Amino acid sequence: MTVKASFDLISLEIMWSRLVGISDDMWTTVLRTAVSTIIGAAQDFGCEILDADGASVAHSNRSMPSFNVIMPNVVRATIAKFSKDQMRSGDVYLTNDPWICAGHLDDIAAITPVFHGKRLVAFTASIAHSSSIGGSLSNRTARDIYEEGLQIPIVKLYDAGERNETTLGFIRDNVRMPEMVLTDIEAQITANALGAQRVVSFLEEYDLPDLADLAATIQEHSERAMRAAIADVPDGVYESEVWADGLDTPVHLRCRITIDGDQLAVDFDGSDPQQSRGGINCTLTYTRAHTVYPLKCLLSPTVPANEGTYRPITVHAPLGSILNCAPPVSVRSRPRTGWHLHPLIFLALHRALPERVQAGNGLMQVFNVYGQEQDGSFYNAHFFLAGGRGASQGRDGIGRNAFPSSARNVAVEDFEIRVPVLIRRRALQPESAGDGQWRGAYGHHLEVSTLPDYTRPVSFFIDPDRMRFPPRGMNGGNDAPYTGIVLNGKSLSIDDVASGQITLISPSDRLEIHVPGGASYGLPDKRDPRMIAEDVRSGLRSSQSRERRPDKRV
Amino acid sequence: MSGAAKHVQPDRALHRSKTGQYAISIDVGGTFTDFVLFDLDLGKAVAFHKVLTTPQEPARAVITGWRELLQMARIAPEEIDYAVHSTTLITNAIVERRGVKTALITTCGFRDVLEIGIEQLYSIYDLFAPYPLPLIPRHLRYEISERMSRDGAVIELLDEPAVRALVDELAAGGVEAIAVSLIHAYRNSEHERRIRQIIEETHPEITVSLSSQVAPLIGEYERTSTVAADAYVKPLLRRYLSDLLVQLHDEGFHRPFFLVLSSGGITSASAAMAFPIRLLESGPAAGAFTASFYGSLCGHRNVLSLDMGGTTAKACLVEDGKPDVARMLEADRVHRFMPGSGLPIMVPAIDLIETGAGGGSIAHINDLGLINVGPQSAGSDPGPASYGLGGQHPTVTDANVLLGYLDPAYFLGGRMMLDREHAQEAVKTLVADPLNLSVTEAAWGIHSIVNENMARAARTHIIERNRDPRHLALVAFGGAGPAHALAVARILGISWVIVPLGAGVASAVGALAAPMTLPLVRSYITRLKQCDWDTVQQLYTSMKADAYRSLEIETASAEPILLHAAADMRFAGQYHEIQVDLPPVEDLGTQIIDQMERRFHDRYISVYGRAPSGLEIEVLNWHLVAEVPRIGLKIIAESPDGTGLAIAVKGVRDVYFAQPVPGYCPCPVYDRYRLSTGLTFSGPCIIEEPEATTVIPPSNTVTIDQYRNIVVNLGTEGDER
Repeated sequence: MTVKASFDLISLEIMWSRLVGISDDMWTTVLRTAVSTIIGAAQDFGCEILDADGASVAHSNRSMPSFNVIMPNVVRATIAKFSKDQMRSGDVYLTNDPWICAGHLDDIAAITPVFHGKRLVAFTASIAHSSSIGGSLSNRTARDIYEEGLQIPIVKLYDAGERNETTLGFIRDNVRMPEMVLTDIEAQITANALGAQRVVSFLEEYDLPDLADLAATIQEHSERAMRAAIADVPDGVYESEVWADGLDTPVHLRCRITIDGDQLAVDFDGSDPQQSRGGINCTLTYTRAHTVYPLKCLLSPTVPANEGTYRPITVHAPLGSILNCAPPVSVRSRPRTGWHLHPLIFLALHRALPERVQAGNGLMQVFNVYGQEQDGSFYNAHFFLAGGRGASQGRDGIGRNAFPSSARNVAVEDFEIRVPVLIRRRALQPESAGDGQWRGAYGHHLEVSTLPDYTRPVSFFIDPDRMRFPPRGMNGGNDAPYTGIVLNGKSLSIDDVASGQITLISPSDRLEIHVPGGASYGLPDKRDPRMIAEDVRSGLRSSQSRERRPDKRV
Repeated sequence: MSGAAKHVQPDRALHRSKTGQYAISIDVGGTFTDFVLFDLDLGKAVAFHKVLTTPQEPARAVITGWRELLQMARIAPEEIDYAVHSTTLITNAIVERRGVKTALITTCGFRDVLEIGIEQLYSIYDLFAPYPLPLIPRHLRYEISERMSRDGAVIELLDEPAVRALVDELAAGGVEAIAVSLIHAYRNSEHERRIRQIIEETHPEITVSLSSQVAPLIGEYERTSTVAADAYVKPLLRRYLSDLLVQLHDEGFHRPFFLVLSSGGITSASAAMAFPIRLLESGPAAGAFTASFYGSLCGHRNVLSLDMGGTTAKACLVEDGKPDVARMLEADRVHRFMPGSGLPIMVPAIDLIETGAGGGSIAHINDLGLINVGPQSAGSDPGPASYGLGGQHPTVTDANVLLGYLDPAYFLGGRMMLDREHAQEAVKTLVADPLNLSVTEAAWGIHSIVNENMARAARTHIIERNRDPRHLALVAFGGAGPAHALAVARILGISWVIVPLGAGVASAVGALAAPMTLPLVRSYITRLKQCDWDTVQQLYTSMKADAYRSLEIETASAEPILLHAAADMRFAGQYHEIQVDLPPVEDLGTQIIDQMERRFHDRYISVYGRAPSGLEIEVLNWHLVAEVPRIGLKIIAESPDGTGLAIAVKGVRDVYFAQPVPGYCPCPVYDRYRLSTGLTFSGPCIIEEPEATTVIPPSNTVTIDQYRNIVVNLGTEGDER
């Protein structure tokens, strides 16, 4: 057995930061070379460097959090299928298998083995949300995964630098606006290649034969930090349950967190079974990502994350449940379930970590506009609207963002130059946060139409959340309101939007979306009157105290 | 962009027409106002000066210092050829929210653009990472009916009566400045310009900033954020500068007065007043030029600039002798100076990192019972406890006094007495006692923590640019920089440290070395193949007119101007561009399409490694950088004057070091002005000049080079990896 090289603390910190820096360079490369709205503007992707065994070492600071957790799984599956000794420099592997990768077909992983001389020393990987993967345009109607688009098993897209045109042809013929999709995949491959080249120069600069010892040291540091953080939480069993909208019926989720010394186990036993329609099922890789990510935020927010961070945590959900679904069920809308895992975990740990958890989050909503112009050309763009963040002990919700996603919103001007749509309003929505001692951040009001002189209908593909269950208040704080979808002045119910498609026929048609703000923390009558005065002055809260709508709980 | 430079009149340069022998550089910081008097004939700085900034009325400190400097050097105002001015007034006004009452007028439906921001979780594991408050609060943001389409066509006419009524209401409510930002105004600015006309007609006392002029770029949040910041500070800057110019005129100074832009170039006072937001990082930009200037002088082309003043420290990577210029910067980062936590400002700026670490940074004990230093600063009023001006909080300066690094009797060369007792009291009550430490331990803690803070910020900045700090030289300056430079270099593993002569005010030297340039940009989005070159020529004609107007007002009208053109290009559909140099402006036309395509491809591959094929190319923004050539600043080398070290010894005092054994030891104190070229000596020692004190720990060796810079080689530790 060889002795592991040791690194003094200064060198370790510099080298560790530089690996994070390289993954940031990969991230920037994807961002700047992609052409879809969802990647180039909304930033729905992540980049990572992994060691030769597929254990993550560093990810970009800007990476989509769930993707960071998932990439090691993809790389290990790739190693298992293709075997390391068969891999060559210039290979690139691709997959969107939801059970291996990120839980729905839209997320495509690209994996590049990194060679230093003849040795495979690392992998660079990226996962990005494709602008199209074919299948049904609506997220909410699919009965199985075959309706959800093209399935890409782990394939070798580049073989020692040579592109597999057959595979590429399959992709091209199965997605909408294929040039956009293929250019984005190319952006991922470009980023991986740039990362690979920088990892090799890094090894040369520090005269390291490979990444193994450094990776192990980095992973041990993160693991130690996580174990220490878990050990600080009192041992015990912490339980909670929440409801999510579901489609025809609400979805019930349960969790039991067991803390034993420096280990933490999450069990989702008792959550609803998988659903036969509408894609709201989570694969276990996705469930795990959306479980360990909020735990990392609660327990060890400052130490960079990697494989080591998550070693002390186990996640279990019964096979066939909505949190560990079995193929070939539909999965495209899995955030409608998976984005309710962090409130579930916050609720469970509320007693143990009262100052760290947050009340219910408004949750981001995304819609997609896709169609064909008179001249035969197509358009396709995604628009992102964040919900308000929930309040917490001692502070108001911090604003709107896409947590637990790290996407950014899309500029109105950028969106409008790509689709024949006019955004007539994107503003804060008065009264959209729950009242409480600490108030959630306000939500959004969006109003759209087609262009004034536009003669063709335009379809919006929506997938709203929070129509049955609003963001939940904590410790006596009020819930925030529900999501509102309004077509030509008429409020639509969750059943009215079951198809997930809304078509504006004429330029006088108006679609409005009200995305809720965050829920509140603490009793409303405890709010500092000066803060109330400030809320009133902003115009986002009326001066009289209002009667709150009663909580609607199942 | 040099390859594309168009030299209009190569034989004439600014300083050929000089009337005086001297140039003055003035740098107004948050705490101190610094002066350098440079003798253009002798090629050396002949006098330095430093006075306390007067934040309520900054011109006062400038005039006071100006008079004192001239008196000290025994020169008359007529002997000064020109003056250069850099300032952190704009940044400080924004960070401290001291701008004027400013309103925003925007398109109906978009009142909250400033508050919505980009909604990004910029620190993914931090549930509480906050966002900055918008400069214009919601109750001062107003919507007006109007709308442009993506093509710049009018969808809805401007409701002029509503604008008139609104402007009356704003004027009545005491609004001093109005920012106008309308959707797609980068494409068609007609409505924005009409609103300005109405304001000028009805309420000329209100200053107006238009998004289509300040930052004519696509993306409503970033554009609005920039114009809001511009409007917010414009009346402040105008008042300050016009007041200052009048007073300087009264002092007998009638020559050109330039300001340093964030992008590192200098420009006329009137151009600066037109777009004050371009001065946001004026002071730090000058500092970056200082580092590049002294680094090159000492044979180091790759340096880390460390400029530590009273309020913050700025670090900047200078590669191949040049600081990098970024296309935007963030003001007022509210969360540990993290990217994403500030207000985006879309103006070209020297790419640097700023952190709340200065002499005035306040030490406190955080929730975890650990010492934190900064980012709050005691500024100049009341200042550190030891200033004796009523400050109660312990600061870095106070710690440095207690550790023996600063001589209380020789602060600002003895013009200001520091009070050791006050420093002792503040550190004892607020840090030492609560943590059960001795005062010395607490002071050492404060000093070390601020060093770590600076090192961490600098390391992040360097590593983000894919460089290893250990391969750089550190150029340290600013009032507090030389006292911390060696410690910071040691943490970063840097081998060479350079402390320029006049380090305490050296940032001002950079302003003298800066080029005279003005960056301009216009937006015209087109496929390269379908580009209408007449439109492009019109854009450049208008930018040239702007440039001539801005640069020539206070220079002779026939000054030669170099014009560099460049364009932001991307593959059609991408959201991000790369900048590509263009041929000379008058050659722009259909015949250069192939050349532009080739340059774009080459640049793309050099940045990203590979380029997609079969995609069309788009052009978005057209840049023009106008430059008036200046003679490079020259410093003349000196030969040793034969004096030894002994004559420089001012005395001996007890100074604390943690190595080799923690404790105070007697150290020689040298007068920097009497250290002759060529001397070599060892630490521990203290080197004092009136504006700064350099601390040399044990086992370091100092050399005084031929320009009388302090050069320290920290030895092999940093050379090896």
